[in-house]
Amino acid sequence: MALFEAQKVHKRFGDHVVLEEINLDFEEHKLSGIMGPNGAGKTTCFNVLTGRYKPDRGRVVFDGIDITGKSPGAIAKMGISRSFQVMNVFDEYTALENVLLPVPEVRRRGLHLLYDLANDSESNDKAAQVLAKVGLAGKERALASDLSYGERRALEIGIALAAEPRILFLDEPTAGLGTEATAKLADMVTRIKEGITIVIIEHEMNFLFNLADVINVIQWGQVVAVGTPDELRANPWVQASNLGKLA
Amino acid sequence: MAIMDFLFNLLPHLVNGIALGLLFALIALGFMLIIGVMEVINLAHGSMFALGAYVALVIMSPEGGISAPFLQPWFGIDIIPRYVAGLVIAPVIVGVFGMGLELCLRRTYGKDPLYGLLLTFGAALVIEEIIRIIWGHGEYVLPVPKGIRGGFIYADLIWSNYRFFAAGFSIFMIGLLWCFIEKTPYGAIIKAGAHDNEMVRALGINLPKLRLFVFAFGTALAAIAGIIMAPIWGIRPQVGVDAVVPAFVIIVLGGVGSFWGAVIAGLMVGMIVGLTAAYYSDWSLLSMYLLLLVVVTFRARGLMGKVSLLER
Amino acid sequence: MERMISETSKWFTPQMLVAFAIFGTLPLWLEWVGLYSYIGLEVLIWVIFALGFNLLLGYTGLPSFGHGAFLGIGGYAMGWFQLNAVPNLWLGLLFAIFITALFGAAVALFVSHRRGIYFALLTLAFGQVFFFVASKWTTLTGGEDGMLNIKRLPADFGFVSFSLQDNYALYYFAFAMFVVTVLVLWRLVNSPFGKVIKAIKQNEMRVGFLGYNVYFFKWLVFTISCAVAGLAGGLFAMAQEGAYVQVMSLQWSGIIVLMTLIGGGFVSFWGALIGTVVFYLARDILGTFTDTWLLWYGLMFMVLVMFKPEGIAGMWQDGVKYLRRRRAAGTPPVVAEPARD
Repeated sequence: MALFEAQKVHKRFGDHVVLEEINLDFEEHKLSGIMGPNGAGKTTCFNVLTGRYKPDRGRVVFDGIDITGKSPGAIAKMGISRSFQVMNVFDEYTALENVLLPVPEVRRRGLHLLYDLANDSESNDKAAQVLAKVGLAGKERALASDLSYGERRALEIGIALAAEPRILFLDEPTAGLGTEATAKLADMVTRIKEGITIVIIEHEMNFLFNLADVINVIQWGQVVAVGTPDELRANPWVQASNLGKLA
Repeated sequence: MAIMDFLFNLLPHLVNGIALGLLFALIALGFMLIIGVMEVINLAHGSMFALGAYVALVIMSPEGGISAPFLQPWFGIDIIPRYVAGLVIAPVIVGVFGMGLELCLRRTYGKDPLYGLLLTFGAALVIEEIIRIIWGHGEYVLPVPKGIRGGFIYADLIWSNYRFFAAGFSIFMIGLLWCFIEKTPYGAIIKAGAHDNEMVRALGINLPKLRLFVFAFGTALAAIAGIIMAPIWGIRPQVGVDAVVPAFVIIVLGGVGSFWGAVIAGLMVGMIVGLTAAYYSDWSLLSMYLLLLVVVTFRARGLMGKVSLLER
Repeated sequence: MERMISETSKWFTPQMLVAFAIFGTLPLWLEWVGLYSYIGLEVLIWVIFALGFNLLLGYTGLPSFGHGAFLGIGGYAMGWFQLNAVPNLWLGLLFAIFITALFGAAVALFVSHRRGIYFALLTLAFGQVFFFVASKWTTLTGGEDGMLNIKRLPADFGFVSFSLQDNYALYYFAFAMFVVTVLVLWRLVNSPFGKVIKAIKQNEMRVGFLGYNVYFFKWLVFTISCAVAGLAGGLFAMAQEGAYVQVMSLQWSGIIVLMTLIGGGFVSFWGALIGTVVFYLARDILGTFTDTWLLWYGLMFMVLVMFKPEGIAGMWQDGVKYLRRRRAAGTPPVVAEPARD
C-alpha cells in the first residue's frame, strides 16, 4: 500500500468537473511528480490532496488513515506538509524565525505563554539545519523580505520542510525562477530527498524528469499516464502531445 | 380580524420601511461602486453621507453657519429652489472630498489592506470631528419644501408625505444609476474596472482617473442619500457610522457585484429597521448593529466573485 | 550553536527600566512641569489599556474597533462588586478582570474566524451594542448618568493598609499594576505564543497550514487583551470614583486605535505607551491653545498611516539604525537586526 493515495477523487466547481474520479498513489521515500498542462486540474488536485478543498466524491488516504475532508491544520499535524506556488513566507521575520515556527517541538509549545524560545537551542539548531539544507546557511538573521526571489523560494520550501513531514508536497517550485536558480533548486531537492517522500507538481518538464522516480500525467481531470521518466519518454501519447519536448 | 387590523395598521410602517430600504440601497450602491473598482472598503462612506446633509443645510439655510448679510436675499427666496440647489450642489462638494480621500488612499495601495482600512477609519473620525468643530454636537433640522412635509390621513391611517417622496426619489436615483451603469460607456468602464483592473489599464483607460471618478461618484451618491435621509434621522455628527453599517450588511447579504442584490437586500434591511422603529423606536438603530452581527456570523461568504477582498 | 534570535528572552530590557523609572518617579516631577496629579493617573491607566489592546492590533494585526466597551465593562464590574457584593479592592479588581475577560471571550467566539474588515465591523458592532445596552440599562449601570459613588478602596495587605484616596497614592497602586502588566505582557509576546500571533498577522493562512489552531490563538489573544482592559477599567472606575458610559462610545474606541498606531504599536512593544502619552500631551498642552486638538491628532494618524505606519517608535528605530550604520561605515554592512524592542 502506498504512503499516500487518492482514490476515485472527484471534484467539480459548479458545472465544471475539474477532477474526474482520479486515482493516484505516492510510494514512501520516492519522489513523485504530477505533470500536466494548464487547466488540467493539477492545482485543484493538489489542493484536494492537501486539505484545502474537500472532494465531492472519493477518498484521500494517508498511511492507511482516511483524511478526506480534514482541515489543512489537522493534516499538517499528521505529518503532511506543503509549499505554495505563490510565495507565502513571513516577511517581517528572519529566515531562522520563518523555519522555527513549523518545528514540531515549537508547535507543541505554541500555547506556552512564558517559555523562553530564544534559549531553546535544540529547536534553534533544527531550524538552522533546515536553512542549511535548503541552501540558506548564513542567512539566518536576514529578514525574509530582504532575500532574493530564489532565496525566498528556498525559504518557502524550508518552512514546509521544517515541519519534519513524512510527505512533502511542493507546488510548482520553479515558478518565476531562471535557469540558474532552477538548477540550484534541483540540487536542493536532491539534497532534501533523503528519508522523506516528496510529491512535486510542475510545469517545467526537464526539472521534473531529472528528479522524479515516478510521474503522473494529468490531463482533462484524469490521469492519462503513469511511469518512470524513461517509460514516459517512450510513451507515444506523451511524445505526441504538447508535453513531449524533452531534451 | 385582529390580525387583519394589525397588518392594516402596519401599512404606513411598511411604507416607511421601504423608503428607508431604498435609501439604504442607494448608500450601499455607492459603497459597492467604490469597492468594485478600488481595493479597499471605505469606512468613511458614512461620513460622506453625514457631510452631504450638513453641506446642504449650509446651502439652504443660514442655520447651517454661513449667514453673511449679502446672502440674505438667497435665503429669503422660496424653499424649493433652495432645496434643489442643496440637493445638487452639496453632493458635488462632497464628491470633491471623496476625491481627496482617494488621493490619500493611494499611498496604501499594494500594502497590507489593514492600512487602507485604518486610513478610512481615521478619515471617518476626522470628518466627524470636523463636523463637530464646525457645527457642534447638537442636532439640526433640514428645511424641506411644504409639499413633501407633514402627513395625511387615508383610510384611518396616518401616512407620512415625506416617506413617499423619499421612496420615489430613491427609486428615481436608483433607476438613473442603473441606466448610467448599463447604458453609458462610462458605466461600462466602471464595470470593467470592477471586474479586472489590468484589463482596463490595457485598454488604455486611465486607471487613476477612473478611481478618482468612482470615488467622487460613489461619495456623491452617499451625500444625496444623506440629504434625503436628513428629515428622517436628523442631522447629527454620529449619523455617519449609522450609515455605514447598513451599507456593509447589504453588500454582505446581496453580494459585491450584484446591483439588484443590493437593492433587494436594502429593502430587507430597511424593512427590519423600519418595523423596529415603529414598535421599539429606541432600538431601531441598535437593530442595525444586531443585524450586522447576525448576518456576518451566519453568512460566511456572502460575496460573489471577489471572495477574498473583504477577507484579507 | 549561539542564540540566533534577538535578545528578547530577558525579563527586563533597558527600555522597560527607563519606562519604570519615568513613571515611577512621575509624582516627583509632574507638577514641576506644569501638569497635575490626576492626569498622571489617567495616562497610566490608559497605557495599561493600550498595552493590552496592542496585543490585538500591533501584534496580531486584528483591528478591534469596539474595544472601549471592555474598558467600560471593567469599570462597571468593579463598581457593581463594590456596591453590591464585597467592598474589597483585590476581589473587586479580580472580579473586573474576570467579568471583562468573560465578555471578551464571548465576543471572541464570534470574531475569531475573521480578520480585516469583517473583524473590524463585527467588533465595532459589538462595541455599539454594549454601549447602547449600558446607556439604557439604567438600573444596572446608571445609564447616561453613570454608576456613581465608587470608592477608592484601601490596599489592605492584612498587616498594613494603604489608603488610596490621594491621587498619588492611587497612582502608585496603578503603577504597581502597570509593572505587573508590563512584565507579563513582555514575557507573553516573547514566548512561542507571541511568535505565533505575530506570524498570524503576517500570514494567517500559512500558520494554519503549519498545524496551528489559528482560531484558538486569536480567541485567546482577544480574551487576554480584554482581561487587561478589565484591569484598566477597574482602576479607571476608582480614579473617576464612578463608571461612565462615554468610554464605551465609538469615539473612544477609535481613539485607542489612533493612540496605538501613532505611537508605533505595529513595530514596538512600547508603541502603545508612547501613543497614549502623546495623546494626553496633545489634549492637555495643545488643548489649551485650541479646541481642535483632536482633529490634529486624527490628521496626524492619517498622515502616519499614509507615510509611516510604523509610527513614532518606527521613526525612532529608523533613527537608531541610521546612526548605527553611520558608526559602522567602512566595515562591511551588517545584515538587518530585527530586534523588536
